[in-house]
Amino acid sequence: MATIDLAKLSVREANELIRKAGAAGEDVDVLNPDAKHHIGVGLVHDVNVHVRGSAGYFCAGLTDTARFEVDNNVGWGLADNMLGGTAIVHGNAGAIAGVANRGADIIVHGNVGSRAGQVMKAGNLICVGNASFMAGYIMYGGRIIILGESGEQVGQDMTGGDIIVGGRINSMGKDAALTDLDQADKDEILELLERYKISFNGTLQRIANDGKQLRYSRNEPRVRNIPFFEATGEAGYWNEKVLEDIHIKSQIGRYRIRGYGTTRPLPHFGDIAFRKDLSNIETDPKVLEKINLKTKIGDRMGGKPLELSMPVMIAPMSYGALSKSAKLALATASRLSGISENTGEGGMMDEQRAEADLLIYQCLSGRLGWSIHDMQRADALEIYISQGAKPGLGGQLMANKVTEQIAKIRGIPAGIDLRSPSRHPDVLGADDLVIKIEEFREATGYRIPVSVKLGAGRVRDDIKIACKDGFDYVSLDGLQGSTGAAGNEVLEFVGIPTLAAITEAVDALVEIGHPGELPIVLMGGIKTGVDAAKALALGASAVAVGTSALIAGGCISCLQCHVGKCVVGIATQDPEHEKRYNISAEAQNIHHYLESLRWQLAAITEGLGYDDVHKISRDDLVALTPEAAQITGLPYVPEYRERDRDLLSEAS
Amino acid sequence: MNVYDISRIAPCDAPSEFADDTSDIHFVPAPCQVACPIGTDAPSYIAYTWEGKMEEAFEAITATNPFSSICGRVCDAPCEPACRRADSDGPIAIRNIKRFVMDKLGQDYKPTAIEVTRKETVGIVGGGPAGLTAAKDLAEAGFEVHVYEMMDRLGGMMVWGIPTFRLPDGIIDEDLNRLTDRCPGIKVHLSCTLGKDITLDELKGKHDVVLLSIGAWGGKTMTALDVDDARVVNGVDFLRDINSGKRPDMPETVLVIGGGDVAMDACRAAKRLPGCKDVKVVYRRGPEEIPARREELEGAVKEDIEFIYNVQPVAVEDGANGFGLTCVKTELGDPDEDGRRRPIDVAGSEHFVAGGLVIVAVGQQTECESLEKAGMMDWDRVRTDWDSMRTDDPRVFAAGDGAFGGSTIVMAMQHGHRAAYYMKALLNGIDNPLPYRTPYRTRRVPVAQDAEWEVINRQHQEFKGLGDKPVEFPEIEVSYDGEAARNEAARCYRCDAETGSADYTVHSREDIFVMARADLSDMKTQKAILNKRLQSHDDPFQENHLPTLDDLIFLPANLSRLVIDPYRDPCNVKAKIAGRIDLTSPLVAAGFDAAPQEIREALGAGLAEHGSAYIGTKQLPSSVPWLQLAEVGKDPVSEKADGVLFIQTGGFKEFDVPALSDDQIIGLSVSKDDLSRAIPFALDNEFDVLLLNACPGNGDWPELVGNPDLSVIRDALRLLRAMNREEDIEILYFGGVRSGTDLAKIIGLGANGAALGASLGFALGGSKEGNTMTFSGDSSQSERAEAVALLMKSLSSEASIMARCTGKTDVHNIEPEDLRSITRITSEATGIQMPGKNALL
Repeated sequence: MATIDLAKLSVREANELIRKAGAAGEDVDVLNPDAKHHIGVGLVHDVNVHVRGSAGYFCAGLTDTARFEVDNNVGWGLADNMLGGTAIVHGNAGAIAGVANRGADIIVHGNVGSRAGQVMKAGNLICVGNASFMAGYIMYGGRIIILGESGEQVGQDMTGGDIIVGGRINSMGKDAALTDLDQADKDEILELLERYKISFNGTLQRIANDGKQLRYSRNEPRVRNIPFFEATGEAGYWNEKVLEDIHIKSQIGRYRIRGYGTTRPLPHFGDIAFRKDLSNIETDPKVLEKINLKTKIGDRMGGKPLELSMPVMIAPMSYGALSKSAKLALATASRLSGISENTGEGGMMDEQRAEADLLIYQCLSGRLGWSIHDMQRADALEIYISQGAKPGLGGQLMANKVTEQIAKIRGIPAGIDLRSPSRHPDVLGADDLVIKIEEFREATGYRIPVSVKLGAGRVRDDIKIACKDGFDYVSLDGLQGSTGAAGNEVLEFVGIPTLAAITEAVDALVEIGHPGELPIVLMGGIKTGVDAAKALALGASAVAVGTSALIAGGCISCLQCHVGKCVVGIATQDPEHEKRYNISAEAQNIHHYLESLRWQLAAITEGLGYDDVHKISRDDLVALTPEAAQITGLPYVPEYRERDRDLLSEAS
Repeated sequence: MNVYDISRIAPCDAPSEFADDTSDIHFVPAPCQVACPIGTDAPSYIAYTWEGKMEEAFEAITATNPFSSICGRVCDAPCEPACRRADSDGPIAIRNIKRFVMDKLGQDYKPTAIEVTRKETVGIVGGGPAGLTAAKDLAEAGFEVHVYEMMDRLGGMMVWGIPTFRLPDGIIDEDLNRLTDRCPGIKVHLSCTLGKDITLDELKGKHDVVLLSIGAWGGKTMTALDVDDARVVNGVDFLRDINSGKRPDMPETVLVIGGGDVAMDACRAAKRLPGCKDVKVVYRRGPEEIPARREELEGAVKEDIEFIYNVQPVAVEDGANGFGLTCVKTELGDPDEDGRRRPIDVAGSEHFVAGGLVIVAVGQQTECESLEKAGMMDWDRVRTDWDSMRTDDPRVFAAGDGAFGGSTIVMAMQHGHRAAYYMKALLNGIDNPLPYRTPYRTRRVPVAQDAEWEVINRQHQEFKGLGDKPVEFPEIEVSYDGEAARNEAARCYRCDAETGSADYTVHSREDIFVMARADLSDMKTQKAILNKRLQSHDDPFQENHLPTLDDLIFLPANLSRLVIDPYRDPCNVKAKIAGRIDLTSPLVAAGFDAAPQEIREALGAGLAEHGSAYIGTKQLPSSVPWLQLAEVGKDPVSEKADGVLFIQTGGFKEFDVPALSDDQIIGLSVSKDDLSRAIPFALDNEFDVLLLNACPGNGDWPELVGNPDLSVIRDALRLLRAMNREEDIEILYFGGVRSGTDLAKIIGLGANGAALGASLGFALGGSKEGNTMTFSGDSSQSERAEAVALLMKSLSSEASIMARCTGKTDVHNIEPEDLRSITRITSEATGIQMPGKNALL
């Protein structure tokens, strides 16, 4: 038995000791907890932890197999994302008790706050007293037992699982309904209560999903892409695409969904140019040896940075949106090219972890496939707030991609049109986010970077918050970012272009007196070393490529990712289609593409007269269009357009 | 062949007379087209086939290919292995689609004849694919062309090398007839052999230029098998006999040496001849290396022909074991100079393979005694310079197998085009013509709109094999029927076509493809890619770019505002007009006064279903609330109207407001130029509503002219704000609202709601003709009404998604601050700032 006195130790020190004791199989007594946050976070051993008093936020959060007991009350996020084990609280629990539970038994002898069991997927959450509003909000599975009153809107937007109520049901949530509770279930529940020495002899009622909103009601007719329209002239206003859109919407009665990003022309990297004429530069064949491309990102708060061979990452894309094969090809290519891969929303696969040298693990609002074990084997964590393709919306995965396998890794029912929540259960504002980051750092012993993924909107404000909240870096995604599925209008019209995003981000840091302190990894329509060099010049520390890497690996840009029948086996979960994808050949292609990009970066750096890619600056750039000039603040020099117009014929 | 090299990034300039589209920024030749030696626009004919446009498909096929009917059956089809779908579930069966089209149209097509217009004449020796292709090009350029053919019919190896079970006689005639019909200037001299019936000097005397396309008619021999025995024959000779109609008796077992197309044809022909039971093909490398076209090989296997791999014959044997070959086993060593791994004999592996006839099919060579004597041969070929197609004699050109070794029909045609190009240059007195390259055209056919394109697997032609009477050589496969052809055509990726994304355009995509596939040490290609990506493009927002709602974007809530979940959190979209008319969403309909009665009926029903209202001069045949559009001083105010919006033609003038009943809404329809006078008037008279008309034109469908003038809403709001009366009158907007996003933007700019006109017209089955709309189609009235209701529901859902993305729970709370403009011109027209450097702090 180890005794830890929080009057003498910081939580960070305490958690290290708790984990050490756990590893040694020793039980732990926590004295003077004094409602401190994160007690026991990150513990994955089969030991007892007794908190003698009250605990703050995220008590027993991000843990597995341990047994927690708290004598008094706990703050919000009790047993956050607990994979297994038990957490017993003798007093009351704050909001989102048992959030994202994945298999633990969580018992609160008093009352629970609002949104108890939000996005939980398995296990039991037992509340002996009353629940506040929206218990079981967006739950995917498992069981919530409320022996007192249910609270308002119980089961709001639940997808799976059961809510058992022993007291009064105050009001039913959207898409939740009373269903029968048979004797066998009743016996099982009573047995469970007995196991935790809870006596109950009233009547139990069962609430489950009403099944009305799991799928879109009308299927969208499938059409192949017609060419994009250029934004000029009167004739284009009622163009073919507009008419197609009206016809389809007048058949389905809702917004349309598709894959990829914006389809119309926007101010972009092609609208800025290098001041120096790079067309005739003689590139040293050994340019790769001469130019420093190495990039370290993520040690702002003292963790182990990501050491990249060049300022490029693979952008976050989920297993789910993409096939396992495509994800593995990306992982292999990232390793071969010495850069990082990112899990995206869908959880981490063992094979992916093995293939990638540097793997960033992304945490989304639905906590799909989120696990303490994967956090602890990741090279960095990333909290997703939004993405460029659909800022303001959660991830979207259409039913034909939510297969049994995908459902299993994500912890959700199969065959639903998955619309991940747009808001984290425990991040309603900047202050919550600080505590959430802290929880992640506690869970991983402050060893790895924690970043934030932001779709570009009010960048000027958001970056300031991200900087002050203490992230190690920001993954900033412009309007041109792509996705596997999103509403067409959101893809086209929500968010600001990538050029504007980096400009506002860099300025924002200057405005709060922290110029350059928060590294920015820019993404959203970056295709080549030319785009990457321009992004770096504008102030990015690195870039990420998503769509381009997929194209290198065989994607044909048909924009039909959401259909789930990807013709080349990338954006599909259908085994018949996935088998069309040749993992090793495409991994080589993606690697080859990354190496070509590397050469371009080096050649440009050399051409501009530098020995380090990070020395490229705004001074090397000019704007070719009034829009690009206004957005970036670069000098408007349209003459450079003429200079660079026929580069190709000159070269050949 | 690598179709992902520098030629994809930076194709060299095409001669100006070429029909070539590589400078089109919305076109990159597809891998299949690049792999085709004559640049056939396969994507276009495939797409035409799907559309059922057979004549157009036929044109695309035959544009550069005079032997399209033949190629539909026996082309080597290098396009298919290059097809990008080959990496997925199998390449598009491009050749079969060609066959389908040519079966439909190849026989009866009568081309327009081209007359001779030039005085110079051309002599061509050899009427095979190379010679005849050149003949056609030259004849089409107006020259008289004389073709000297040693056999008694045209066609060369196409006739004498390919058995009729693969290529029936009629098919060859289709192409030849089409060619001679097209080019009466081609004069054919059959049974006329160079060096026997006519000499090169005579030809040079008769013609201004001469082309030697004499083919490679001699079968190569193997020293080990070079015996004088009738039981050892050459593959080329064997096929020539067969194709002249002979059907010789075969021994029970026939051995074929070799793994190329001649070997395949020989073994399959032997199998069909009387007496033959077994055919064995002996090939010195393995099944991976065998050069025969995959389909031919599979056909032979299906016909029970045995393949003996990794075996090399070393001697003919006729002893105790009977007649046959002594062979050794081989294994593969290091790559040869041609890149293929060299077979090495395995010591002590000698064994006997019995067979009553040995057919040697190990390659072809050119034989021409007279050219040999003239010193114009280089070993087994006519000495020819590839860059000019000339022989040692500046007026004598050469092409095809005879000049460059045995190859395919389609390669021979490329040689023909190429030679004709340089011959024309000489005849036209051009000294240094641009180097020839294959031209790449596109016919810009839309992508096939087939919903199953990702799913359909490769369609196979029905395989008949030997047939009931093998000796009659019935055709081995049956052409596609219409459905199979269409299904196969639907599978095409359309690598040539512009994508749906202005960011990942066809050029961007192909550049990335090349980055992923070009050799990293190939600095020329790498530099070309870099240069291409450094190259500037046109400003996407040029001077003719007009202010548009498309340029406005929404700012999402992230960290600085509470995120509202657009999938779940409620958002109000309901609206009211002047507190009296309830609307399900801030949408009404307007402008169907001139529409047909049944359209007006359906519209009325749809509006009622959605819970909307109508603005127009005439009431709809429906109970939906009606805001009468009444021309001042002309239209009497209707008692039936729920409200009256006054309108004046020819500009605003103050007027006496007619008396309305107490519960009628009163409003004014205004255009931009009238705002400064109309707004104070409307406010003074306590009007409820301003209908801002942003339509760019007049007439029944004023929205269809083009972009709405967004500055009307900017100016109206500025005037109201200056008077501090923004809340005193409601604003409805009319003009070019196409989506819920447009609606949300209009609300963000300051309107309370929008009127839909043309959008609903399209939903009702209207089509735009010029600046007006016509209605047709056979939809029922209830379907039309449903379309109206569903479109309004869609728009309402989109608008509420936009509101929630910006962090709002009510559509009406969208503000200018939630918007940004991506162009200066729209920023100016709407007063919405741009993002980035100059965004307000």
